[in-house]
Amino acid sequence: MESSKKNANTIGFLTVRKHELQGYVGGLLVLNELARPLEFHCTLPIQTTRSQQILYGPTLDGFVAGEQIARSLMLKPRSQPVIYFTDTLAALSSRHVDPQLIAAVEGAWSGASSALPHPKAESCDIPCIAVGGYRFMVMPNYEKDLEAVARIVEPLLGASIDLIEPFSRIEEALMEAHPATRAA
Amino acid sequence: MEYQVITDEVTVQSTFFDSDRLCDIQSIDMESFSVETKDSEWLSSWNDWSELRVLPIQCSAPLPKTIGFAFPESTLWNANTLGTEPTERVIQDSTAPRETWSKNAPTKRITRIRPPGDLVRLEDRLYYLLQPPLETIVQSAKLVFPFTPFPYQMEGIAFLFSRAAAVLADEMGLGKTMQAITTIRMLLLSNELSHVLLICPKPLVTNWVREFRQWAPEIPLAVIEGDSHKRQWIWTNPQAPVKIANYELLMRDRELIDDGQLEFDLVVLDEAQRIKNRNSTTSEIVRSIPRSRSWALTGTPIENSVEDLVSIFEFLSPGYLRDDMHHKSLCQATRDYVLRRTKDKVLTDMPPKLFREADLDLSAEQRLSYRAAEEEGVVHLAELGESITIQHVFELVLRLKQICNFDPTTGTSSKLERLEADLEEVAASGQKAIIFSQWVETLDILARRLDRYHPLQYHGRIASNKRDGVIERFKSDPKCKVILMSYGAGAVGLNLQFCHYVFLFDRWWNPAIEDQAINRAHRLGVKQPVTVTRMMSVDTIEQRIHDVLEEKRQLFNSLFADNAAPRNLGLSQKEIFGLFGLSIPTAKNQKAA
Repeated sequence: MESSKKNANTIGFLTVRKHELQGYVGGLLVLNELARPLEFHCTLPIQTTRSQQILYGPTLDGFVAGEQIARSLMLKPRSQPVIYFTDTLAALSSRHVDPQLIAAVEGAWSGASSALPHPKAESCDIPCIAVGGYRFMVMPNYEKDLEAVARIVEPLLGASIDLIEPFSRIEEALMEAHPATRAA
Repeated sequence: MEYQVITDEVTVQSTFFDSDRLCDIQSIDMESFSVETKDSEWLSSWNDWSELRVLPIQCSAPLPKTIGFAFPESTLWNANTLGTEPTERVIQDSTAPRETWSKNAPTKRITRIRPPGDLVRLEDRLYYLLQPPLETIVQSAKLVFPFTPFPYQMEGIAFLFSRAAAVLADEMGLGKTMQAITTIRMLLLSNELSHVLLICPKPLVTNWVREFRQWAPEIPLAVIEGDSHKRQWIWTNPQAPVKIANYELLMRDRELIDDGQLEFDLVVLDEAQRIKNRNSTTSEIVRSIPRSRSWALTGTPIENSVEDLVSIFEFLSPGYLRDDMHHKSLCQATRDYVLRRTKDKVLTDMPPKLFREADLDLSAEQRLSYRAAEEEGVVHLAELGESITIQHVFELVLRLKQICNFDPTTGTSSKLERLEADLEEVAASGQKAIIFSQWVETLDILARRLDRYHPLQYHGRIASNKRDGVIERFKSDPKCKVILMSYGAGAVGLNLQFCHYVFLFDRWWNPAIEDQAINRAHRLGVKQPVTVTRMMSVDTIEQRIHDVLEEKRQLFNSLFADNAAPRNLGLSQKEIFGLFGLSIPTAKNQKAA
């Protein structure tokens, strides 16, 4: 595991896309407090095996998006963000295997293309908190994370950082890095 | 029975555990390894343990491989030394509900920076792709603008931001200056630039300084002027990140430029059509300046022929275009480098230009003079035989055009009569007018004859240091109803949008120059429609030239429109001779204008 120090001035935006043909692909964008990019990491597209599909069943997305992709991406930043935001509910599962704070932001960039569901507070029974105009969700059994999320988000909102827009950048960057996902 | 369960692998398998049967299995209890299925026949065969074999199945995998890039962070963005007031544009209300991002709600406007097509490295492409929208940059850096930029201007800034070679070819009046300045400002802030050289025609230097003060007041400027010692000091002064030079001056400082000491991150050419002749000294000097980025600003990338554009590209990307390229290939090759918008496309709510064609008969005196001059001239040309040159034809054209303005003996003029009538109306309504002519002598006559309107003159014979004063007086003095301008001096860089009437007393050879002249008045900020009166004497050389001009206008439009057909380029020698029904004396067929 690469070690890095937490940086209160950086935030991470993490997404996992699932395409019928190409499989799963994840992207992480680390921004500074002015929303300028500092780092970008993405995974190579990965396919699940038939045995994984059988044995993980309905928890497969959580396993691949959270425990595999999100976890591997969260190991990469040189300067660890103070929080990771995700627009992929399944990516929250990384919390099981990694202590870093991750919260799903309700809403989605209108152009997003993925077979994975976007976070919606009404449609899932997981801990949720509203801060400013946003609603954040964390993994069940980690309700205490909500307090930390609120504490971190409030100053960000004061700086008028858009917490949804960066996902559109990641989407385009993934299409640039993996052109095959563009057609999917 | 043989099975085992390990952390990452389930090692149970039998020959019957084929994929066709998997769908029948209801559940597998790993502790007792009991299998429930609806298929009893298959289950009975399952009990034949003698055929049981053990195969490993990989259930988990190593963490996926990743690729990553780190980008430089500019400290200037955080310095917050740019201004204290937020821009007028409200980008986002952070306390508002996030409805704008939901799938069914309308999205707010964002302008994204895109990597240019010629950028190959993934890391470089991602750098631009991952930049925040321009609106976010403006807001987070607290950039102050005198007024909110139009969406198309933000797109122009995004276009320039990522390009090492670009032509911003917006129609005059759409704010190329503001787009270039704002992009330079953002690139300076992001540390992508530190030395910028802007080259413009000499009369426009003050205009650029004024625009920089307005759009980027925090950027230190250095105008290259004065004696050679002073200029040398300014050229090499590292304190000013932006230096402004004029084309005329480059010639004098060529030695310094050729010395190789100067190097710029960006060189911007304003009115880049000035280098349309690639063999000119100005073009050679400009191309020799060491630089990383090259931008050309021009409303008329093609004045006469596609060779003009090829010449501009010799500055941007030497050898990228060729004169003999097919029209379609040229369009395709330039698509990613040239951004051109027209007012009718992007400023749909801008007051229109209203054209009035004043097709006038010559006065009786003018007609007599004209006929005599034309007959005599044509006879003279015929007598020249094989020794005739294009110059002889031009001389006759100019002489006839002058008669169309004023009769040389009596001074009568049907154009002036019409102009006087129109100006009475303009002045009575409290408006002001610009009158263009290609001759200073014509402007002098008009100044005398229109004395009651207190006309001001702006042309090549007015000293450049007095020209700003002329414009200022025209703006502020209510008595001055008319400004008389030559196409050469008044066609570029002036903002006269308070003027709603333009008269083209005679016509220029090139429609692009006429458009530039008209757009002094019809530009951003204009509040009323601009009425353009184009004067032309019917059944004269003016009408014949008009037909050629129309063809050139179509050429320009064809190159910057999709699916355009190739056009006959330029005004050929044959066409000029053809104005008088003459044929070319030799087989040589060169472009003449």
